[in-house]
Amino acid sequence: MLPLWYFRTPRIIFGEDSLSFLDDHSSSKILVVTDNFLSNTPILKEVLSHLSGKDIKVFSEISPEPRLSEILKGRELASRLDPDTIIGLGGGSSMDAAKILFALHEMPDLSPFDISPINSIKLHQKSELIEIPTTSGTGSECSWAAVFSDDTEERKNEIASPEIMADYAILDPKLVLDLPKGITVNTATDAITHAIEAYTSQWRNPYSDAMAEKALDLILNNLPTVLVNPKDINARNSVHIGASMAGISFSNSQIGLAHALGHALGAIFKTPHGESVGLYLPHVTEFNYEAAKDRYDKINSFFPDEYRTDKVWETIRSYLNAIGQVTNVSEAGIERSKYEKELGKIVSLASESTGVITNARDASTKDIENIARSIL
Amino acid sequence: MAKFPSDEWVSEYCNRLNNNPDYADAGKTWEGDILFVVQPDENYSKTEYIYIDLYHGKCRSAKYVHEGEEVPKAEFRYVGKYGNWIRLLNKEIDPIQGILTGKFKLEGSMMKIMRYTKAAKEMVNTAAQVKTEF
Repeated sequence: MLPLWYFRTPRIIFGEDSLSFLDDHSSSKILVVTDNFLSNTPILKEVLSHLSGKDIKVFSEISPEPRLSEILKGRELASRLDPDTIIGLGGGSSMDAAKILFALHEMPDLSPFDISPINSIKLHQKSELIEIPTTSGTGSECSWAAVFSDDTEERKNEIASPEIMADYAILDPKLVLDLPKGITVNTATDAITHAIEAYTSQWRNPYSDAMAEKALDLILNNLPTVLVNPKDINARNSVHIGASMAGISFSNSQIGLAHALGHALGAIFKTPHGESVGLYLPHVTEFNYEAAKDRYDKINSFFPDEYRTDKVWETIRSYLNAIGQVTNVSEAGIERSKYEKELGKIVSLASESTGVITNARDASTKDIENIARSIL
Repeated sequence: MAKFPSDEWVSEYCNRLNNNPDYADAGKTWEGDILFVVQPDENYSKTEYIYIDLYHGKCRSAKYVHEGEEVPKAEFRYVGKYGNWIRLLNKEIDPIQGILTGKFKLEGSMMKIMRYTKAAKEMVNTAAQVKTEF
């Protein structure tokens, strides 16, 4: 018998011209949370064009690894504006920061560390949260998790609460048409990892399964087209929707060891998130295989024929190679000796991640260390 | 077979924790005591407690506290109805999912406990190894 569980998702607006949803949205004071790069691109102008006549403030100080100090600075701006709508615009960093800022705006006395699935914090009382992804991968627009870094410590804090989930996620494919190849690959790798880890998680369920399967179908079959023809809006749209489905999937069944290790690597070496999780994914898959054989065999069947081998971890490696994902620390620009020196810390941080308890196979510290060594 | 909860069960559980390398590994940096609270339900009329002092992957001491006895203070309290304890010990409920769905309540620092979810899981895995009668 399945244990009691929930399926959660924001309301999703997707497809052509989905940004037009903002035209009629009943907001008057809006805080847009984004990063410095996006604030100087047509993307921000495009979003703002759907909010004309409203009182808007743009907070564009979110870095690629959102830091607590940045979020607290955003809270000051929010307290002055008192927005009825907060919009997270960007990749996972901006959207995660928007979730935390939203919580702090709703509950000014709250510490980000108090955001947990156990504490009832009663959000969504005075404002709404809208997430608009400009990359196809993090799934943050559909998840109830957020990651931020301490300013004082090399640690990525994973926080989660159903209450920080967005009210709306807007998936407009035109916002990802100009995504550079490197970011396309990295973010898609993250989405593929979300779907695979969600599908094999110890907390998997029929709803997360359905989302993971469709996500893999959409992403794996359309990403190669996107990489050859980035302006193919139909292929872009499929990857974009697939990434959000992968987000819904992992948000409802959790992540695994590739994410636990990827977060640790990113915290120490500032490696892009998708690259980090992609480095470990084939090795984690090989380690997990016997614990969820049928699941992994099914995953293998989702890959296009030209990449498929008898071993799912080799299939994954073959696919990641083909799309240009790095496969070892040297390719990721990390000196082997530096990685070896930090190995203990990587293992320690990964062991503290919730991804360890939901991973398909229980892993000891030694197991985690062996997987961490495998990318040398 | 040890009845849950009882002196015998608690003693056996503490022994098994001390002989479980997986728990020793997962809890190697943990310092803190936990109180398991067994609440009454339609099949069980008493509120009872199990106090466990855990330190660096070992169970330093454990005690079964009968209803009416003084309840020890502990850094964490893990609280659930008797029927849910049965399901937990039979591994029908995941200890963390149990909290997220309200089957169990956790009282104590979330920030600390969230870094030791693996240790929590190993504690339940160990408890499930105790030959138990309900």
